[in-house]
Amino acid sequence: MLPELGTFALILAFLLALLQCVAPILVLGFKKNHAFFELSLFGSIGQFIFLSFAMLCLMMSFINNDLTVLYIREHSHQLLPFIYRIGAAWGGHEGSFLLWCLVLSTWTLSFILFAKKSLENTFFYRVLMVLGFLSAGFILFLLVTSNPFARDFPTRPLIGDDLTPLLQDPGLLFHPPILYSGYVGFAIGFAVAIAALMEKKFDALTAKILRPWIVLPWAFLGCGIVLGSWWAYRELGWGGWWFWDPVENASLLPWLIATALLHSLIVSEKRNTFKGWTILLAIITFSLSLIGTFLVRSGVLISVHAFASDPTRGLFLLGYLALIMGGALTLYAFRIKFFYVAPRFQLLSRETFLLLNSVFLLTAMATILLGTLYPIILDALDSDKISVGEPYFNTVFLPIILPLLILMAIAPYVHWGEHRLAYLWKKCGFSLFSSLILGFLIPILLGFQWKLLASIGISIGIWIIISTLQFVLQLWKNHQHLNLKYYSMIIAHLGIAIMTLGITINKSYSEERQVTIATNEIVTLAGYRFSFKDLQKENTKNYQSLLVSFTVQKNKGKSNLLFAEQRVYKSHEQTLSKPGILYNAFRDIYVALGGVTANGAWIVRIYYKPCVRWIWFGGFMLLLGGLITLLNYIWPHKEIEKEINA
Amino acid sequence: MKILKILPLGIFFIIIFFLFKGLNLHPDIIPSPLINKPAPLFALPTLDNPKKIVTNHDFLHHITLLNVWASWCTTCADEHEFLIKLAKNTDIILYGFNYKDDLTNAKKWLAEYGNPYQIIVVDQQGLSAIDWGVYGTPETFLIDQQGIVRYKVIGSLTQEKWDRELWPLIKKIQKERT
Amino acid sequence: MSTIKKLIILFFMLFLSLKSFATDIYPFNNPNDTNRFKSLTTELRCLVCQNQNLSESNAPLASDLRQQIYLQIKQGQSDQAIIAYLKARFGNFILYRPPLSLSTIVLWLGPFILLITMISFLIYYIRNTIKD
Repeated sequence: MLPELGTFALILAFLLALLQCVAPILVLGFKKNHAFFELSLFGSIGQFIFLSFAMLCLMMSFINNDLTVLYIREHSHQLLPFIYRIGAAWGGHEGSFLLWCLVLSTWTLSFILFAKKSLENTFFYRVLMVLGFLSAGFILFLLVTSNPFARDFPTRPLIGDDLTPLLQDPGLLFHPPILYSGYVGFAIGFAVAIAALMEKKFDALTAKILRPWIVLPWAFLGCGIVLGSWWAYRELGWGGWWFWDPVENASLLPWLIATALLHSLIVSEKRNTFKGWTILLAIITFSLSLIGTFLVRSGVLISVHAFASDPTRGLFLLGYLALIMGGALTLYAFRIKFFYVAPRFQLLSRETFLLLNSVFLLTAMATILLGTLYPIILDALDSDKISVGEPYFNTVFLPIILPLLILMAIAPYVHWGEHRLAYLWKKCGFSLFSSLILGFLIPILLGFQWKLLASIGISIGIWIIISTLQFVLQLWKNHQHLNLKYYSMIIAHLGIAIMTLGITINKSYSEERQVTIATNEIVTLAGYRFSFKDLQKENTKNYQSLLVSFTVQKNKGKSNLLFAEQRVYKSHEQTLSKPGILYNAFRDIYVALGGVTANGAWIVRIYYKPCVRWIWFGGFMLLLGGLITLLNYIWPHKEIEKEINA
Repeated sequence: MKILKILPLGIFFIIIFFLFKGLNLHPDIIPSPLINKPAPLFALPTLDNPKKIVTNHDFLHHITLLNVWASWCTTCADEHEFLIKLAKNTDIILYGFNYKDDLTNAKKWLAEYGNPYQIIVVDQQGLSAIDWGVYGTPETFLIDQQGIVRYKVIGSLTQEKWDRELWPLIKKIQKERT
Repeated sequence: MSTIKKLIILFFMLFLSLKSFATDIYPFNNPNDTNRFKSLTTELRCLVCQNQNLSESNAPLASDLRQQIYLQIKQGQSDQAIIAYLKARFGNFILYRPPLSLSTIVLWLGPFILLITMISFLIYYIRNTIKD
């Protein structure tokens, strides 16, 4: 019964989404009474209710382990723990696409609750119309090609396939919803851009209102990517945190352009220029989200993260994508001339720096997209079949991102409109020199081997930190230090700096060994001594595990215990090796179990990973920076000014 | 700056075009670099008689179909029926290449499913298979009378693949001779 | 010290040590070779996996190929020779670093050209369209 209710709810949601889209068309295109606008609101709210209900039905069916539903049979099992039955709802293509639709509907509802009052009626309902069009198309795609409630009545007794052991991790509960909140949230920026093109205007006030609707998805997407990286590190067993896998790249692309977008938006708000560029970036960001979701579900690329593929689904999705992106960019081509503002700034100015920010991020995005799609391009042209992987991306990405980081260190000091080089030198000279010296000295002082690239990376990271802290000092001197609006930038930039330091040190100074170790043997790595301590067996509801513990001791210092695990899941005898990790603020010690050799020795991989946590810590700082911007909108600037002047 | 207006649209079309083409491709099928090159040099024992060694010499003067299989490979059972049928074909000679298998299991498997092969070579370590570029059983190589590799079928050999890909090529090779 | 004395001391050291050292799975005589092995296995693709390199894969084929690479490094083969060996058998697909050829020229030079073009255009645009 529940699955049928679910399908019915989806049908209703589709019709309501259609209403949300069509009602404003009736008013704006067919000159009907403005009261019809309210039907659009009715459609959006109704859509949210029924999509939520559908998701609830899916979760309930998982909890009941209803194996007559094909999707549940493919992702669940009698022994699957309760919490993962909830997560399994979005563990495969159909359910995760339902999540996509639900998140879009949630964003739409939030937009109604928080933005309607600040926008003009016609503009607001144009946005709602575009969102309705998107929602309707996605729900239709879901119903026609990927219904999670589709039944498949069996002819023999059923056992579920179980959720892949890799997914039976807390990460499943957080990573997809947060990631989708990012991906899908950019639809709002897209819809606003379309509305602006339709009305031929995009003023500073609209830019100001739009800002939280860009920053929040940007922060969520960044957080989602960081969670994914952390999850892969904890789970996969080789200490890696980024693989330039096509699906990972697909999530990074919109984030890069969203970063460019939120910087361009600042200019649109403060200087009433760059409007056409902001609109284009908003369209591109969401388009990249769509391309990303296509790549993950269509089977055109090989990836560990890809969902089970189906070319007919891929075709439907691609057609819909082409319609949305083609329509948006065609409208852009025709209407962009109304937004052109001649540049009123010199070559050395903050405007230029922010345009360069867009240039570098756009190049980075284009490069990653090119590399990801290149195998398809060559194959389609009947040329060779090649692979494009980590070596390529590392080689090309670095020279693009380094100049951008350097710009980040200087930019806060560059004035709007016009700037003199000498003045800039005065501000930045100290931070530049001190960071170069520190970058050179720090590896040596810490006892590491000196490497040029490592020093460069450390210097840049430190430069951004010193420069940003100098900026805070400057704010303090001008009694502006309580002004919240600067802190999102400060914290976000510091976050990037810490990530840069983490990535540089981790990539330059990690060490590893792969050994066979018997119970009476020891291994040494990076000054640490590992010896085998104990073997314990554990039995849970759905897996049996072997816990192997090691004593880890550094240079006659304190001894620590580390547990590495090997699980066998009872449902289908699948094994999973869960690495043991010992961590503090400066380094991770990581041990992963391989198999057992013929004479009872364990195959073990041991890693020394300095500063790897800084990468995720920096990423979370970005989230914090984003949330502070939000704070600025909830707790308006005026109140703080009153406080300062009182 | 007219071009700037339609540049995004142009780039979009190019991307969509390639994504569309991508839907009809098979990214997991890797073409063999051995095509139209001499078969890799090898000397392997046979399954029935470990003392008898088979080499490239045994490819000459007839068209060979070298089928890579193993008893642990579940897909191999699917294509086996077709291979039994193919064994009756007089245009080709069917050789088997037993890949990283246990000899007893291999013999048992053949006893159960039937033996369509004229000769079966054994590569227990998989070293020779690396020279052949074997990455996933079952695979089938078409080798002509001069010992040149002409084609590689990846995955099960089916009637459809035979009709569409192998048989036309075999006829072509036969014409080349005369 | 005579050889006999050295052997006696060694014998006692082994006898007295309570723990012995674990053995590397792919032991090399110098750290340069160890690094070469690591970089080669991470730059080569596992052909039967869903986008993993040879170093990180559990597949039997990956294990066989790792073994081959190990043996060849020990035999003194250069990186280029080992890559050529694998390329001859499995094609360009096995290389995660695409070779520089006519068909990949857009891939390798594209990003650089794009960046230069955009920056040049930006500078030209700002300089030539400023209205004072």
